[in-house]
Amino acid sequence: MAETYDFLFKFLVIGSAGTGKSCLLHQFIENKFKQDSNHTIGVEFGSRVVNVGGKTVKLQIWDTAGQERFRSVTRSYYRGAAGALLVYDITSRETYNSLAAWLTDARTLASPNIVVILCGNKKDLDPEREVTFLEASRFAQENELMFLETSALTGENVEEAFLKCARTILNKIDSGELDPERMGSGIQYGDASLRQLRQPRSAQAVAPQPCGC
Amino acid sequence: MVGPEDAGACSGRNPKLPPVPAPEHAGLDGKMIRATGGFGGGVGSVEPPEEEEEEEEEEMPPPQELLRRYLAADGGQLEPGLCYCPLPAGQPRFQPPLAAPRSDASPPDAGSRHRGEEAADARAARHGGMTNGDSGFLPGQDCRDLEEARRLARAGGREPRHHRLRLEESADEDADGAGSPSDWAAPLEDPLRSCCLAAADADEPEGEGSGSGGSPASDGRGSEFSEPPGAGARGPAEGASPVTSAERTSGGEGAKQQLGFSDVHSNSRNTFEVSHRKSARDHLPPAGPPVPSPAAEQGPAGTSARARRSGGFADFFARNLFPKRTKELKSVVHSAPGWKLFGKVPPRENLQKTSKIIQQEYEARTGRACKPPPQSSRRKNFEFEPLSTTALILEDRPSNLPAKSVEEALRHRQEYDEMVAEAKKREIKEAHKRKKIMKERFKQEENIASAMVIWINEILPNWEVMHSTRRVRELWWQGLPPSVRGKVWSLAVGNELNITPELYEIFLSRAKERWKSFSETSSENDIEGVSVADREASLELIKLDISRTFPSLYIFQKGGPYHDVLHSILGAYTCYRPDVGYVQGMSFIAAVLILNLEEADAFIAFANLLNKPCQLAFFRVDHSMMLKYFATFEVFFEENLSKLFLHFKSYSLTPDIYLIDWIFTLYSKSLPLDLACRVWDVFCRDGEEFLFRTGLGILRLYEDILLQMDFIHIAQFLTKLPEDITSEKLFSCIAAIQMQNSTKKWTQVFASVMKDIKEGEKNNSPALKS
Repeated sequence: MAETYDFLFKFLVIGSAGTGKSCLLHQFIENKFKQDSNHTIGVEFGSRVVNVGGKTVKLQIWDTAGQERFRSVTRSYYRGAAGALLVYDITSRETYNSLAAWLTDARTLASPNIVVILCGNKKDLDPEREVTFLEASRFAQENELMFLETSALTGENVEEAFLKCARTILNKIDSGELDPERMGSGIQYGDASLRQLRQPRSAQAVAPQPCGC
Repeated sequence: MVGPEDAGACSGRNPKLPPVPAPEHAGLDGKMIRATGGFGGGVGSVEPPEEEEEEEEEEMPPPQELLRRYLAADGGQLEPGLCYCPLPAGQPRFQPPLAAPRSDASPPDAGSRHRGEEAADARAARHGGMTNGDSGFLPGQDCRDLEEARRLARAGGREPRHHRLRLEESADEDADGAGSPSDWAAPLEDPLRSCCLAAADADEPEGEGSGSGGSPASDGRGSEFSEPPGAGARGPAEGASPVTSAERTSGGEGAKQQLGFSDVHSNSRNTFEVSHRKSARDHLPPAGPPVPSPAAEQGPAGTSARARRSGGFADFFARNLFPKRTKELKSVVHSAPGWKLFGKVPPRENLQKTSKIIQQEYEARTGRACKPPPQSSRRKNFEFEPLSTTALILEDRPSNLPAKSVEEALRHRQEYDEMVAEAKKREIKEAHKRKKIMKERFKQEENIASAMVIWINEILPNWEVMHSTRRVRELWWQGLPPSVRGKVWSLAVGNELNITPELYEIFLSRAKERWKSFSETSSENDIEGVSVADREASLELIKLDISRTFPSLYIFQKGGPYHDVLHSILGAYTCYRPDVGYVQGMSFIAAVLILNLEEADAFIAFANLLNKPCQLAFFRVDHSMMLKYFATFEVFFEENLSKLFLHFKSYSLTPDIYLIDWIFTLYSKSLPLDLACRVWDVFCRDGEEFLFRTGLGILRLYEDILLQMDFIHIAQFLTKLPEDITSEKLFSCIAAIQMQNSTKKWTQVFASVMKDIKEGEKNNSPALKS
C-alpha cells in the first residue's frame, strides 16, 4: 500500500435513517450517486486521500447505521473520531429534530472537540423541503457547527462538506488547539488502529511538524 | 449472480402468483422438457404431494440446459428479451442499472453474465422470471401466443426439424459458407424487426427471405407476434432497449407494463419451444422420451441444409434474433479505420469491458456484490476457427499518407501474423476452458435434479425420521434444490411459536389499521415532534427500508410484485412482537423467505427464525449478548486462522465491524443471493453456529489478501465483499473451518464465554473493544 499522506483523520457520518449518509459517502468516494442503495447495518467504510491546504490527508470514513435501535452499536464506533458529518434530510423534520441527540452522542463519545459539519441533505428536493436553510443555520450557529446543504444526488457541496471539515481540523492542529500526538484527547492524529501508528514512531513524529504553515 | 438456489427461491412461488396462468406455464414447461428429452425416469416417477409444482421443477433442467447451450452456441449474442426476461429474480445481483451505457455488445454481455456458473443457473433464470412475479402478470396472451404458434407450426405442415439452437448454428455455418457474415443476416433482419414492431409489416416478403416462401406460418406469425405492440417493440430486434425497458417495467408500475415484459419473454420462448418440438419430433422415437443429448453438439450435425430448406418460422425467428447482433458488431468493426484489433474477439473483450463497466456502475450504485461471470458460457465453434483472426485486419495506410516502406510493411505483416497466431492460441485455450466449465455445470445441474428427486420422494415424506440422518445431512450440505428449499427451511425452522395463517391474518389486519390511522394523522404529527421511536413504530421506516431491500431485483420496490407482501410481513411482525419491533436487517430476511415461501408460511418462518436465541439477541440489539457471540466467534477465529486473527488484533479490528451486517441479514445482503441461500440451507441444518462458521469461511477464503491489508482496507473489504465469490470456493473454506475448540463445541464455548463475561462484569463493565 503505497499511499502516502500527512495525516489520517477518522470521520463519522451520523444521522437518522434515510437521510442519505451512505449516498453522501458514495458520492464523495465515487463521484456518483448510489442508486440502488441498501440501508446500512452496523457500519460501512470509505476512504479517500484528499489535498487540503497543501497537505495530503487520508480520510477514513465510518458510515454508521441510522436506525435508532442501532445506536447502542454505532456509539462504540465514535471513539477517536476527528470529524463528523451530521446529516439530516431537509425534507424530513423528524430527522432534523433528532440532530441534538446525535450531536450529544458525538461530543460525549468521540470528543468534545470533534469537528462537526451539519449537512442538510437532499437539497435537490427543494419543493419538498420541511426545514429552511435559515432555521438550520441558526441551529448550527448555536451549536458551533459548520453548515452546508448538500445533495448526494447531484453532488452539490458533498466534497465541500468533507473538505471543509478536514480543513478545519487541520487549522486546529496548526493553531495547537488539537494535538494529534495526544491520545485519548478524543481527537487524534489518525486513528489508534491505523497504519500510521504501526509505523515507526518517527513517521508519526514527522507528521505534526509540517503544520507550521 | 444467482444460481440454482435462487431459482429455487422462485420456483416455490410459482403457484401462488396471483392473477396468473402459472399452471399453464408450468404445463408448457413440462412439455418443453419432454420434447427436449429430459430426465427420463426421474420425471415420470415423481408424482404425488405438492406435485404439480415439484414435477415441473424436476423437469426443468433439460430445457434450461438447452436454452443455455443454445445461448452459448450463439456466442453470447443473446436475443435480449430472452436473455433478460427469464432472469430477474434469478439474477438478483445483476440488474444492469437503468442508466448503464449499453453498447451493442452489452446485451450479449448481460446474457453471459446472466448465465452464471452456478449449476442450475439456467433454471434459476427461468424461475426467476416467474418469481419475479412477472408471471403473475402474464396475460393469457402469452399462452395463447404459444398455442397459436404451435398450431401454426403444425398447420404449416412443414417438417419441423430444428432446435432453435441448431438453427442458430446452422445459421452460423451458412454465414461462414457464404463468406460475408453480414449479408446473410441483412435481408432478414429489418423485415423481422418490423414484423415484431408492427403487424402491418408482417406480410412483407421477409418470410421468403428466410426461405419459407411466404408460408402461412410466417405470415401468421408476424401478426401474431405483433399483437402486443409493446412486446414487439422491445422484442428481439433491438439490442439494448428490451433490456432496459424490461427493467423499467419490472421496477416500475406493475401489471400493465409487466405485460409487455412478459410478452417478450413469451415470444422468445415460443420460438424456442416451437422449434424445439419440431426437432423432437424429428429426431426422437415417436413415443420414447427425448434424448437428453446435448443439443449444442447435435447442432452442427448437418441439419443446416434442411434447416434452410424448411425455412419455417423457427428458422425465421432464429435468424432474426441472432444474426442481428452479429451484424451490428461487425459493422462497428468494419467502420473503424486502420488497424482493427481482434474485431471479433471484442465480442469477448468488448463483453468483458462492458460487463466491467456495467459492474462498476452497478457497484457504484449499489455498493454491492455483483458476481461477475467468472467465465462466460458462450460457446462458439472455436475449435474450427478462432474468430478473432478473421477480424484482425491488416491494412495499408490511408492514401493521404505516405505508403509504408517495404521493411515496415514486412514488419507489420509479421506482427500481424504473430498477433493472429497469439489470438488463435488464446481462443482455443479459452474454448477448451469454457467447454470444461460447461461440462461441470451440466453435471452440477444433473446432481441437483437427482437430489431433488431424493428430497421429494424420500426425505420430505419421512422428515422426522430422516432429517438428522447422516445421508440427509450430507445431501443437505450440498445445497437444497430450489424447489424444496422453502419447504425444508420451514420444517427445519419449525413453528415453536405455533403461529397459524389465521394468526398472521389477525396481526396483519392490526398492522393495516395502525398503518391507516397513522397515515390519516401523520400530516399533523409530522409537522411537530413525532419522536424517532414513534416513527419506527409507525411503520414508516419499514416503508423506507422496503424500497432499499434488494433494490436491484426491482421486485420489492414500490410497484414491484412483492412490495406489499414484504410490507405485510414486516408490519404484522411489529404487531406480533412489539417488544422487538422492526429492526433494520429484517427486511432482507423477510425478503429471502418471501422468495421461497407462501406469504403466511414466510411469516411463520420469519417469526420463528427471529425467535432463535442468536437472532433475538441481535434484533433486540442486546449489546452484551452480541458481545458474547463475538467473543465466542473470536475463540474459533483464533483457533482456525491464528495468523489472521493476530493481524486483525494488531489493528484492533473487532469482529463486530463485519459480523453485525452478516449476522443481522444472515448474509443475504453481503453475499450473492444464491450463495446466501446456500448458507441459509446449512444454517437451517446446523443452527447459529453455522452463521459464525460461514464468517470464518469468508475470512479464510480471503485470508491471503486480508493479511496484506491495513485496517481501513480490511474494514472496507469485509463490509463490501467481492462479487465474484463462488459457492464452491466459499463452501470448501467453510468446510475447512473446525468448529471445535480443543474439545469444546460452539455451544460449550459460548456457555463458558457467558460465564466468563458474567464474572468479568462484576469487575469491570464490558465495552466493545473497537
